[in-house]
Amino acid sequence: MKFAIALYSAAHAPSSRRALRFAEAALAGGHEIVRLFFYQDGVHSASSNIVTPQDEQDIAQQWTTFISQHQLDGVVCIAAALRRGVLNEDEAARYQRPGVNLKAPWELSGLGQLHDAIQSADRLICFGGP
Amino acid sequence: MTKSLLIISRQAPWSGPGAKEALDIVLAGGAFDLPIGLLFMDDGTFQLVPEQNAAALQQKNLTANLQALAMFGVEDLYACRHSLNERGISPAGLAVADVQPLSAEEVRAVIDRYDQVITL
Amino acid sequence: MSTLHVVSHSPFSDTRLGSCLRLLGSEDALLLCGDAVYALQLQGSALTSLEDKNVFILEEDLLVRNLECPIWATGVDYPAFVELSIHYDKVNTWL
Repeated sequence: MKFAIALYSAAHAPSSRRALRFAEAALAGGHEIVRLFFYQDGVHSASSNIVTPQDEQDIAQQWTTFISQHQLDGVVCIAAALRRGVLNEDEAARYQRPGVNLKAPWELSGLGQLHDAIQSADRLICFGGP
Repeated sequence: MTKSLLIISRQAPWSGPGAKEALDIVLAGGAFDLPIGLLFMDDGTFQLVPEQNAAALQQKNLTANLQALAMFGVEDLYACRHSLNERGISPAGLAVADVQPLSAEEVRAVIDRYDQVITL
Repeated sequence: MSTLHVVSHSPFSDTRLGSCLRLLGSEDALLLCGDAVYALQLQGSALTSLEDKNVFILEEDLLVRNLECPIWATGVDYPAFVELSIHYDKVNTWL
């Protein structure tokens, strides 16, 4: 089964953790994840500037590790990210902003990538809210 | 085969970028000629109230974007009749033409008809 | 076509579960997770309206809240959540 997974909440939201655990279980079950798409406040789940207290689980870090380890396609919506101050090196330079908080394995791209993922997957699963 | 997508928009127009970001998914789908439908439900039906004044909050006119949907190839527009009634919004005078008000039963049938659905 | 509806907002502070129940079909199912599992604390007719539906509940969200899975619902872990999402034709998460 091919899954497209879309996340709409920040790393501190329980739904971000839920999405990650679902994605892990999907791969463990022998399924494929064609793309992870981060939209709305989900762009914050991709931020590399999140500092989690040492005695708490670091979901942002776990996302990065998960995507790198499995060489998944992690796409962050560029319009949603710019609006919320999640910038990679190119965008920080383009808009002359002081901070870069989006790095590999993440890529910035448009909503076309969400539609493309929906077309190539058997199932779209969205996570967001609390 | 191309998969169809239904967007269920539940956010009021002036409560942040939610309504516009739902619409952006629809517009992007329309730009790729994908079969896409838009259903207004709950507070999302407030997007259909006529003569709203975006300028009062120095915002962009969301209604104009909704009215342009047909130009982007998005013609399947629906509204939940229960949500309209609950909020005292008359289905006769909506700001966007050709929005079909649907009963709960019809909403269920519309959801059934689409391959995938995003409710936001 | 069947739909798995996923709700994570508490029914005591949010309208998502109510709206979802209004259009849930007999082929459809409901997965409660996060604060939506507080739906088990609904009283009277609000609770009985849930009991005749196909209801699944994410087990970890029951455990963390010291709630038990009622006999009319089925507790699921993540592998079972994945299988549910395959069993139903589509998944509609009330974001």
